[in-house]
Amino acid sequence: MNPVAAVGVVGGVLGAGAYALAVLDGAAARGVAGMPRRWADVVVEPARDAALLALTRRSTTERPDAQAWALAPGLLAAMAGAAVASVPLAEGFAVADVADGIVLFGAAMAVVMVGVYLHGWSANSPFPLVGGYRFIALALSYEMPLALVLIAAALPAESLSVGAIVASQAGSWNVVRQPLGLPLYLVAGMGLAFWGPLDGADGADLAGGTAAEVSGPARLAWELARRFVLVAVALMGAAVFLGGWHGPVLPGAVWMALKTLALLALTVAIGHRVARVRLERFVVVAWAVLIPLALVDVFVSGALAL
Amino acid sequence: MSRSLAVDVAFVLFAGGAVVAAWLVFRTDSMVRAAYWLLASFLGVGAVMVLLHARFLGLVLVLMMAGEMTIMAVFMVMFMMNPAGLNPMTMVHQHGSAKVAGLVSFAGLALVGIVAEFPDRPRTSDADPTAELGVELLGDSMLIFETAGVTLLATMIGSIAVASKRGRFGDAEEGSGPPPLEPTARPAPEPEPAMEDHDHEGMHHG
Amino acid sequence: MGVIRRLATRAEAPVFPVVGAGGRLRASELALLPGIRLVGTPRAASVLLIIGDLTPALVRPALTVHDQLPSPRATVWWPVGADRGLLQAWPGLVTVEAGDAEGLRRIFAGLVEGRRASDPPLLLDIEPARWRGEGPYGQGGTGMTGGVPFGRPLPGRAPDPDGLELDQLPLHIGPLFPPFPPGLVLDVALQGDVVRQASVGENPFRSWPGGPDPGPLDTGAFVEALTTPTGVAELELSRARHHLRWLADALRVHGLSALATRVARLAATLAPTDGPEVEALVRRLRRSRSLASATAGVGAVDRPAADLPAGPVARAAGAGDDARTDDPAYRALGFEPVVHHGGDARARMHQRLGEAVQSLELAGRAGEAVRAPGPALEGPRGPLRRGRPTPSSALVALVPTALAGSEWGDAITTVVSFDLDMEEAALSEVAGVHS
Repeated sequence: MNPVAAVGVVGGVLGAGAYALAVLDGAAARGVAGMPRRWADVVVEPARDAALLALTRRSTTERPDAQAWALAPGLLAAMAGAAVASVPLAEGFAVADVADGIVLFGAAMAVVMVGVYLHGWSANSPFPLVGGYRFIALALSYEMPLALVLIAAALPAESLSVGAIVASQAGSWNVVRQPLGLPLYLVAGMGLAFWGPLDGADGADLAGGTAAEVSGPARLAWELARRFVLVAVALMGAAVFLGGWHGPVLPGAVWMALKTLALLALTVAIGHRVARVRLERFVVVAWAVLIPLALVDVFVSGALAL
Repeated sequence: MSRSLAVDVAFVLFAGGAVVAAWLVFRTDSMVRAAYWLLASFLGVGAVMVLLHARFLGLVLVLMMAGEMTIMAVFMVMFMMNPAGLNPMTMVHQHGSAKVAGLVSFAGLALVGIVAEFPDRPRTSDADPTAELGVELLGDSMLIFETAGVTLLATMIGSIAVASKRGRFGDAEEGSGPPPLEPTARPAPEPEPAMEDHDHEGMHHG
Repeated sequence: MGVIRRLATRAEAPVFPVVGAGGRLRASELALLPGIRLVGTPRAASVLLIIGDLTPALVRPALTVHDQLPSPRATVWWPVGADRGLLQAWPGLVTVEAGDAEGLRRIFAGLVEGRRASDPPLLLDIEPARWRGEGPYGQGGTGMTGGVPFGRPLPGRAPDPDGLELDQLPLHIGPLFPPFPPGLVLDVALQGDVVRQASVGENPFRSWPGGPDPGPLDTGAFVEALTTPTGVAELELSRARHHLRWLADALRVHGLSALATRVARLAATLAPTDGPEVEALVRRLRRSRSLASATAGVGAVDRPAADLPAGPVARAAGAGDDARTDDPAYRALGFEPVVHHGGDARARMHQRLGEAVQSLELAGRAGEAVRAPGPALEGPRGPLRRGRPTPSSALVALVPTALAGSEWGDAITTVVSFDLDMEEAALSEVAGVHS
């Protein structure tokens, strides 16, 4: 594909997904809070907030690591873009149908960890710093289950390519064949985007964590970047577990969009219903429960694939 | 621009970038930056491997190194007397021996590069290196890789068991005094922690 | 005016509140106001909203926070109760009637449209310690990490719970840290994000030279009832409201801010007929596994329940003392205190939820029953007795031991679970409330 068109498609998917996510989140927050609002307002709200941030001045701290601070949101956005590029958006249409798409996704999500940590570390301020270190403790605990459930999903397809994994779900989707896969994947994915109950890195108990010191365009970039990551996670989840483009009547691209939106809506609902997890308890659960479950998922899927 | 020229340009950029980033590891003044310059260097190497059709290896290198460099940064910060790694500190020390080690390893590698006869078997690009890698790992070389893998795993579990507070020798706080002179005697009692008094003082402040 | 500016003008105004004397009740309703959004860090705010009166010790922190707001920024003051004039000198301060969201929005819109100039910084932007410039990187000394970096000494080391010797970072947090009750200052020694030691700093509400001068307290209705006959229904409704306001704060800290807004609305408009809604909410929160795991075992006070200051915190640890038990008006209604066991943050949440439901039920059937003035009355934080220490001042003393050794998130959960009010804690005894 033409490089300019490729960047356009990836940017368009990420942008549209992030906006849809913001609208869904706004609507859910209104609903839970019991503050009825006109739909038109809910739909325009994210654009208004973004405009305000764009007009606000950036602030700085005492001797921050300015380059790393600026790099962090870019790193997240770039990795989300790389992940999106490897996902087929319709049958036979992926921006870059990499033969090792699943590994690419894993590598991109590992670099996301670096981005979040740098964002916290470079502000030279206590709460962002604690947020950054918290994220490492959390992210190291869910990188493993993430990699394992993706490997399990690749087993029936006998390929690491996302396109082949989607094609292998023509009969039944992975969410049915591997019931452990999607829940574990969503936990890890929400964690990587520090969303909802796993928002320890940017939590309210740290006055915003790694984002406690950013304002104006830098805050806008960061908020966008973490939403990009969640969109990439949802898109990959829709392809790997929900059968991607497979579906009756509607064209494949529409099914992909609907499934991605459904996963985004699910994460939004979880975010408003589930309280923030305790760091210590979650790490124990991740190592003692999630990783063994993911291993069971791999072994069972492997046995079935044979 | 033709495809092969683009690949060549990308190769030079990534390879050159990897070298520059590796040099910056020692020029920076912070442990975290040093760790991540090293990661940047590995990213360059990973990209070069992808360009050389070793996609899987290149991506796995990035996947592993992103986690590993982060862990390395955290461990450096933990062990150095430098709170949270925020203070500037020099990344080079023991200049004399470092120079000798650097020159010797460079000369050795350069010698290998000049003298060794590299295999010259052009591959078609439709070969699947990932599948070949899998066959290699689980075929002829299975014994070697499995032995190495299981040994490393056992080492990790063993070191955790030894280092853990509730290790196989009981609670780590107990009996960790100096060894006795007589083989049958019990270990000397542990010295009182010096922080004790200070701690109590702090508690009553509020 | 460009499209972006027009869009931004209609955004919700991001507000960072500074709660001064007498401002707590107003602050609890902030999340309900249309067109205003509460933010957790000054860096995300456009409007610094000072609610109530600033005491001398609050001025400097407020100025610091003000300068942390990115421009364009404005400062709005909602006066509540007494005004001792400290805020008159604040340059560029706009006074708006307390609770007037529209007035605040007008200032915000003027700011975004460019009709109103952004507040200039109020403090000098200089480094708190001079850069000493010694050593190869100017880190202040020689050797790899030697010296006094940035002119500040390195922190000491202390053993951590895993038996390692780790750096210990002394931090001074408060009095405007959003998850804390307004005015709470903690001096903590942090190892990573584990609190090694904590002590409560000087209470800023005690900083007037002539002694504390509180505005209207959020428990004011109860203090008044010590001396004037008050309807039981009215008192119990106030109690249920108080517990729901606390619940909203707690939910916000646990990351459920939308639900917190719903609870805050319920608290603001609560009537005895809201029983079913409150019960449904309480059932839902009691069933929530995530809330249970976020609070279970957190902030347990390791002393016998009988030694705890009486009130909900002690009742959550199994001590059944409740000043209402001996009150004739309550005895006539067949009052039995609610008691929970465990003494941790979870028990405290269940205790307050239970008391809120009970209070609402009492308010519903108390009818015209009137409580005669008496020496002791159970307030929402504990018994109010004339001449005795206020409940908050006794609870504040529990904070240092309860925090030691806990992870930062747990420390916040613990602080919130005590339901402190630093303004009340500033008063040496309950009688002082009525001056």
